[in-house]
Amino acid sequence: MDKGSGLETGATLPRSPIGKRTPMRDVRTEYAAETKDLTMLFGKFKALDKLSLRIQRGIIYGLLGPNGAGKTTAVKILCGLLTPTGGQAYVLSTKVPNRNILPQIGYMPQETALYVELSVHQNMELFGELYGMTSKKIAEKEDELLRFVALEKWKHSPVANLSGGMRHRTSLACSMIHEPRLLLLDEPTVGVDPELRSAFWQYFNALRQAGVTIIITTHYMDEAQHCDKIGLVRQGRLIADGTPRQIMKETKTTNLEDAFLALSRGQETS
Amino acid sequence: MNIKRTLAITKKTFRGIWSDKAALMLLLVTPALSIVVFAFGFGGDVSHVRVAVVNQDQGYQIPPSRVRVSISGAILANLDSKVVEVYEVATEAEGVKLVKSAKAYGVIVFPKDFTRNVYEKSLDPSLSLDTTIRVKLDKTNVNVAGVIREAIGDALVGASASMGVEGTATLDTSDAIYGEGATMRDFFLPAIATYILYIETFLMVVQAFVGQRISGSLARLQVTPLRPSEFVVGNAIAYSVLGLMQAAIMLTFSVYVFGIACEGSMLLAFLVIGVLAVMSLSLGMVLSSLARRSEQALASLSIVALPSFLLCGMFWPVEAIPTWLRPLSYVVPNTYAINAARDVMLQGWGIGQIWLELVVLAAFTVFFLALSTVSLGRVKG
Repeated sequence: MDKGSGLETGATLPRSPIGKRTPMRDVRTEYAAETKDLTMLFGKFKALDKLSLRIQRGIIYGLLGPNGAGKTTAVKILCGLLTPTGGQAYVLSTKVPNRNILPQIGYMPQETALYVELSVHQNMELFGELYGMTSKKIAEKEDELLRFVALEKWKHSPVANLSGGMRHRTSLACSMIHEPRLLLLDEPTVGVDPELRSAFWQYFNALRQAGVTIIITTHYMDEAQHCDKIGLVRQGRLIADGTPRQIMKETKTTNLEDAFLALSRGQETS
Repeated sequence: MNIKRTLAITKKTFRGIWSDKAALMLLLVTPALSIVVFAFGFGGDVSHVRVAVVNQDQGYQIPPSRVRVSISGAILANLDSKVVEVYEVATEAEGVKLVKSAKAYGVIVFPKDFTRNVYEKSLDPSLSLDTTIRVKLDKTNVNVAGVIREAIGDALVGASASMGVEGTATLDTSDAIYGEGATMRDFFLPAIATYILYIETFLMVVQAFVGQRISGSLARLQVTPLRPSEFVVGNAIAYSVLGLMQAAIMLTFSVYVFGIACEGSMLLAFLVIGVLAVMSLSLGMVLSSLARRSEQALASLSIVALPSFLLCGMFWPVEAIPTWLRPLSYVVPNTYAINAARDVMLQGWGIGQIWLELVVLAAFTVFFLALSTVSLGRVKG
C-alpha cells in the first residue's frame, strides 16, 4: 500500500501526541495488554476459548480473523465492557475491568456509536470534556485530528448528514481526542477508501513511534502487513501469534490469507 | 396484494415478538393486570368517605310518651356505614378544620332542637323553625361530594319515614368549603395535566436512552472516565429542564387560555407538576437501563401507564379502591402528584399542606435515580 497517498487527501502527519507526557509507571509487565486463558460464553456459544495474548507496549498489534472469530469480544473485555466468563485480562498492568485505566484507553467500537444529531465538532467536544480536557486543548487536538481524518469541511455538519465512511472517521477521531496511551480500534478501516486507509496506517505508525500501543481488529488480511505483530483468531482460539513475516514463514505461504487458511486446516485436523 | 409476501411480513413480526420473551410477557400480562385493577377499582363504589358531624340536637321527648327520640340520631344510624364514616366533632369550626387538613370530605351540622323542630313543624308546617341539616362539602372532588349528598339524602328519607315526619327536614348542601362552582373540567384538569406530563417525560427519556443503547454510544461512554452517577444526573438535569418547560406550557395554557381554576399559587402548582416530571424521567431511566431491547423498554410503558392511570385517584378517590388494592395506589407516584396538584389548584393549599406529597415525590425521584445509577453500572457492552 502506498504510504504517501494519505498526504494527498489532506491528511498530514501529526505532531507527537504524547510528547509531553510522563512515562507510564510499569507496575507489572512490559505488556500493554495481556490475557490468560480468556474464555467468554454467551449462553451456550463460546465466543472466546482460552485465549492467551501478550501485547508489548508501543507496537501495533493486529487481531485478525474472520467474522465471529471473537475479536470484538476480546477488545470489549480489554476495555472493560465485558467481564470474561473465565481467565484474566490485564491492560497497562491492571486487571480489567478497572475504571482507573479508562483515561489511558481510547476505544473505537465497530458500530459508529456517535450522537448523530450532534455535529462532528460537538461529538469531539463531548469526548474531550469527558476526559477532562480544557477547551483550548480540545480545540487544538480537534483541528489536528480533523485534518488527519480529512473532515475539516464537515466540522459543523451533523453526523446524521455524513456518509458511513465519514462517520467512521469521526468515530476514530473521537477515540483519539484525549491522546490515549493504548488505542483499541475495532475494525477502524471498514468503509474507508483505500487512499484514506493508507493515511490512517501512516498516522497509526506515527502514534506508535510516539509510544502509543495500538490494538486493531480487522478481517482484511492485507492490512495485517502494517502491524508489528499479529494474532490470528479462529473460533475464539489463538491459532498463531508473531510477526506477519514469521507466520508466513512458519506456514510456508506468501501472504497472510493463505497462512490463515493453512492454519485453519491444521486446527480442523487437530 | 400478494398473500405470500404479506404473510412473510406477518411471520417475521411474530418471530420477532416470540424471540423477546420479556417483552412478550409484558404485552400479555399488562392487559390482564389492567382489567383486574379496573374491575376492582372501578367496580367498587366510593366508600369509607370520612365526614365530620356536629350534632347540636339533644333529641325530644314527644308528649305524652316518656321516650326521648332523636331524629338526627336516626339519620346518622341510617347512613350507609360502608359509604360514609362519621366522626363526631363538637363545633362546626372543628369539622371545617378536619376538611381543611384532608381528614374529612365534609361537615354535617344538625341545628339545636332539630328533633323538636321537625316534630313540631310536622304538626304545623306554617311554623318558622330551623329544620335544615346543613352539609358543608369539599366540592373539589365531584364524585365524592355527590356520593355524600346521596348518602345523607337517603338516610334522611329513611329516618323521616320511620318516624312519621316525612318532608319536614330539609338538606342544604349549597355551602362549599372548597370548590365553589367547580366543574368537572376544573376537577379533572390538574389530574390529566399531571398524567400527560408523566407519560410524555417517561417516553422522551426511554426513547433517548434506548437510542443510545442501540447506537452503541452508551457502551462507548462506559469506556470513558464518565461515572454512571454522572451520566444519570447529567441526563436528569437536561430532561428536568425540558420537563419543567412542558409543565409550564401546560399550566399556562390551562389557566390563562382555558380558564381552568387555580385557587392556589401557580408557582406551587408548577413545582408539583415539575417534581413529578423529574420523578417520571428518573423512572424512565431505570426502566431503560434495565431493558435489553427497545421493545422491552416500550412494553414497560404499559406497566407504568395503565395501572397508575386506574390507581392514582384521577377518576375516583383512593378511598373508593378496595382496601386490599389500596396499597398499590400508594406506591404509584402519580397518586401524590395528582393529590397535590388538586390541592393547590382547586383548594388553594400552600406548601405547608402539600409538603409531604412533594417529599414523597422527591424520595421516589432519588430512589429511581439511585437505581438507574446502579443499573447502568451493571450494563455492559
